[in-house]
Amino acid sequence: MPWHKRLWESGPYGWNQALTRPQVLVPFFVVAATLPPLLQYIENNSAWTGAEFWIRILTTCAMYACLAVSLNLVVGYAGLLNLGFIAFFAIGSYAYALVASDQLHQHLPLWSSLITVIAVTLGFALLVGIPSLRLRGDYLAIVTLAFGLIMRELTIDLDRPPVLAGHQFGPSDFNLTGGTAGIHAVDPLRLPSWMPLIHGAAFQSRTYYWIFLGFLAIIIFCLLRWRGSRVGRAWVAVREDELAARAMGVNTFKYRLLAFCTSAVMAGIVGMIDAAYTHNTFPDNFNVQETVLVFIMVVLGGLGSIPGAIVGATLVTILPFVLQQLVLYKYVVFSLVLIVLMIFRPQGLLGTVSIRPRATMGGTIELLTAESAIAASELPTVTDREAADLESASGAIVAMEPEP
Amino acid sequence: MTDRRRVLELRGLTHRFGGLKAVDGLQVDIDEGEIVSLVGPNGAGKTTVFNLISGVLKATAGSIRLLGRELVGLPAHRITHHGVARTFQNIRVFPQLTVRENILLGTHHWTRSGMLGSAIFWPGTMRAERAAEAEVHTAIDLFRERLEPRLEDPAYSLSYANRRRTEIARALAARPQLLLLDEPAAGMNPYERIEIAGLIRSMRDRGLTIFLIEHHMPLVMEISDRVIVMDHGVKIAEGLPKEVHSNPRVVEAYLGRRAASA
Repeated sequence: MPWHKRLWESGPYGWNQALTRPQVLVPFFVVAATLPPLLQYIENNSAWTGAEFWIRILTTCAMYACLAVSLNLVVGYAGLLNLGFIAFFAIGSYAYALVASDQLHQHLPLWSSLITVIAVTLGFALLVGIPSLRLRGDYLAIVTLAFGLIMRELTIDLDRPPVLAGHQFGPSDFNLTGGTAGIHAVDPLRLPSWMPLIHGAAFQSRTYYWIFLGFLAIIIFCLLRWRGSRVGRAWVAVREDELAARAMGVNTFKYRLLAFCTSAVMAGIVGMIDAAYTHNTFPDNFNVQETVLVFIMVVLGGLGSIPGAIVGATLVTILPFVLQQLVLYKYVVFSLVLIVLMIFRPQGLLGTVSIRPRATMGGTIELLTAESAIAASELPTVTDREAADLESASGAIVAMEPEP
Repeated sequence: MTDRRRVLELRGLTHRFGGLKAVDGLQVDIDEGEIVSLVGPNGAGKTTVFNLISGVLKATAGSIRLLGRELVGLPAHRITHHGVARTFQNIRVFPQLTVRENILLGTHHWTRSGMLGSAIFWPGTMRAERAAEAEVHTAIDLFRERLEPRLEDPAYSLSYANRRRTEIARALAARPQLLLLDEPAAGMNPYERIEIAGLIRSMRDRGLTIFLIEHHMPLVMEISDRVIVMDHGVKIAEGLPKEVHSNPRVVEAYLGRRAASA
């Protein structure tokens, strides 16, 4: 059989395998990295003037791809419905803005601020994760959703001292988050000053595309490594069948917490890069719609599929710009697309895992594969004949009908 | 006989679901290298015993000792670590994982390989992963011609019997001291049942101790060293297959009093 035919017949499972091979991913990143100069070249040699605009869109695409891939780790791999995902993006963003702007008069260098961001997001992830990951699926979704909403309220309200039971905590000039206006004039990312040639130069606005792309490459590399090793197997096992995973010696709580925290830290770092790229951070970047948007990307592309997350992020980011007339109805269009998709292809475009709930015991959102559902319905059930065979074979039974 | 190690020791094991005593004061001893079958009518509490040993349920009272170590109160994943592996009555393979990955899950508790190590190709981690891969080949030794061609297929695509084999191979990869098999021959055809019988014997010959729940009596009679009969959570008979077979209390448990006296 020719390879393309074999690939087609292997279905989404095989497509994912094929698309996550280095032979595909490396050329993909090389092509993606050459897009900005290519656009610039086209602009220089034609009447078209959209290079700057499209490079910005590509940067947004790359950022959302990072977020979608991180969310995919927690929802797609570990099966944890984390509806407060965007809060960790916000936490990373604010953590960086606080240590690299005039808000607190701190201007930490790149590596120290990166460590701060990782520590702060990890701290919040543990704070939410340790109590809530012991809960069953739906409750986890509620707790994380509430966490997302609380964090957004905090970013709005922490511009004045918190007041509790008539008591004011902190000095009157307390202003941590800048309220609805957010924090402005955030430092761009700056390379260390000891590096030769660069001497602490700030990154140009356009280079953030490559920074996002580089970070995307790093997290995809890590995810693929983990998926092929003990950690990733344990994540998928906990998602597929928590009871069996425990029986095989997997500490389910530990592995859920690992997935939750890893994904949160990834989102935090993306938030940091985004704050440096846009030079500001404010609460409206992190409302619930953003979580929904990232979820749409992941579900559209397919849960548990890295190429799917990238495709989903690209489609959801670019479509509103392509269909300018529909931009007001963005969420209506996405919702319709999702509804249609859930009816005809509940696994998403490239995914193998469906988000439809399964009514069994366990703590995760109980993802069910369409294939396994079909397979389960075809399992041989014990027929009457088989039962009779079993009973007659068990020598203890001497008569089927008790005597009157 | 006497120099054999005592692998499992259940003392006064009791479990209540609300007011119902599913298991009531059960005493069981299993020595190294034995095949012990647990039989009884439906609802006798057999699977509850397995769930108690493997830590899925927590015993209301009593003690479970594995090689002298108390297991009651330990979480399920620790119990696996101490040397208990099990299969389930309704097969629980991980459908989205390949057969290879399913079996690798068995090696989870005795390999050490972390997130950082696998991301940076840390030599120790790579060694652990290679050791786990090697274990897959040992574990499928008994099913080689059946499972080897399917190693890279996702488990949902397997036949019923192959899922059963995968599940047993997964339990073997955990290198247990004690293997709990919950109705391994359920839903199998006669040929596959014969295969299962041979399989259980060869696992014992490799030094495994096997505790087995099974409904198929000829299979139980053929392979067991000892048979324990339960009814209503209580052990009603124990002994060699032949002895149990003719025990009037066992016949009564299966059929009711009148049929037994008839």
